[in-house]
Amino acid sequence: MTIWWLALILGVLGSAGIGFIWLIVRIGRISGGAKKQAGNQIESLEKAADEDVEHVFNTEFREELRNRGRLHFEKIIGENAMFLQQDLRLTTSQLNEYMKTEITHKLTEEFDKYEQSIMDAKQLAIESIQKTNTAIDEQRQVLSDQVRQEITNEKQQLLKHFENNMADIVNHYVLAAVGNQIDLNDQLEYILADLEANKKAIIEDIQSGA
Amino acid sequence: MARNLELPVAVVTPVDLGRLLRELHLIDETLLQMQLRGAGAEVKMPKTSHLMDQMITANTLNLLHKADRQELQEFLRSVREHAPVLHMSFSADPSVSFMEKLTSWLRREIDPVVLVTVGLQPNIGAGCVLRTTNKHFDLSLREDFAKHRDLLTAKLKPEVTTA
Repeated sequence: MTIWWLALILGVLGSAGIGFIWLIVRIGRISGGAKKQAGNQIESLEKAADEDVEHVFNTEFREELRNRGRLHFEKIIGENAMFLQQDLRLTTSQLNEYMKTEITHKLTEEFDKYEQSIMDAKQLAIESIQKTNTAIDEQRQVLSDQVRQEITNEKQQLLKHFENNMADIVNHYVLAAVGNQIDLNDQLEYILADLEANKKAIIEDIQSGA
Repeated sequence: MARNLELPVAVVTPVDLGRLLRELHLIDETLLQMQLRGAGAEVKMPKTSHLMDQMITANTLNLLHKADRQELQEFLRSVREHAPVLHMSFSADPSVSFMEKLTSWLRREIDPVVLVTVGLQPNIGAGCVLRTTNKHFDLSLREDFAKHRDLLTAKLKPEVTTA
């Protein structure tokens, strides 16, 4: 926008200069034509004009115009510089705002991506931990079953061993507890009853001979 | 006419039978010497043992008679050769009275001239282990426990499994 303003001002100044030159040339042509038509009058007028021109547009006047033009140009340049400065400030602020917005947006996007990555990693870690926990639970269950089975087998073996040797154990216990108090005379009835129960087999074996 | 002699319950083992035979042989020899030396010669009669006394009393024998001695000798030899021998083991050394009662039952129920050899097995607890010619009868308390192991297991298993 500032460049357009500067171009417009330069265009106006250029147009003014061209118009001024055209005016001078026009005036010169008009004066030349009058010379042809008017002869001497023209010459005299030309002289008078030259003198007037010399009188009007003398060195001081041109210097004055130059100074005024310079001042006006400096003023326009200053104004445009001010406008340019304002535009630059505005552009800078807009650029800052834009940069801030863009950076904020980019940072937000990056943070979102970073957060998403963290969430993904977290999810992955949670899944991994869950898988590990599942595997540990399964392993623990397997181990628990194995230990339980081992204990059951051991128990069964102990029980079987106990059952197999139970008669000896009880016999040993009875002997240790009351063995000295059992007299053979007290056992006679028991022994005779057993012999009576096996009498037939004993007789058969005796009769069968060696 | 031959009588049916019987063994007294005090004669239990083949060893007892051998002692009787040796004693009878000694008596026979002594009486033979008396007969050879004639009357007037001093011959000391052997003193009979408790077993021989029971044998004589139980069978009303007179050992001064040669026929009785001969009959007894033949009987004892016959018993030694043909009598069934049972081997019985007990947890303790049996007393004489115990063996007499046992022998009495065996000769009444099993065989009139059965002989018994006694062994010792302290680990059987109570009862006895009987070995005949071809068979083995474990009539001990240990065997009873083994036979009734299921009953003992049924009683003990709930206590063991709940422990």
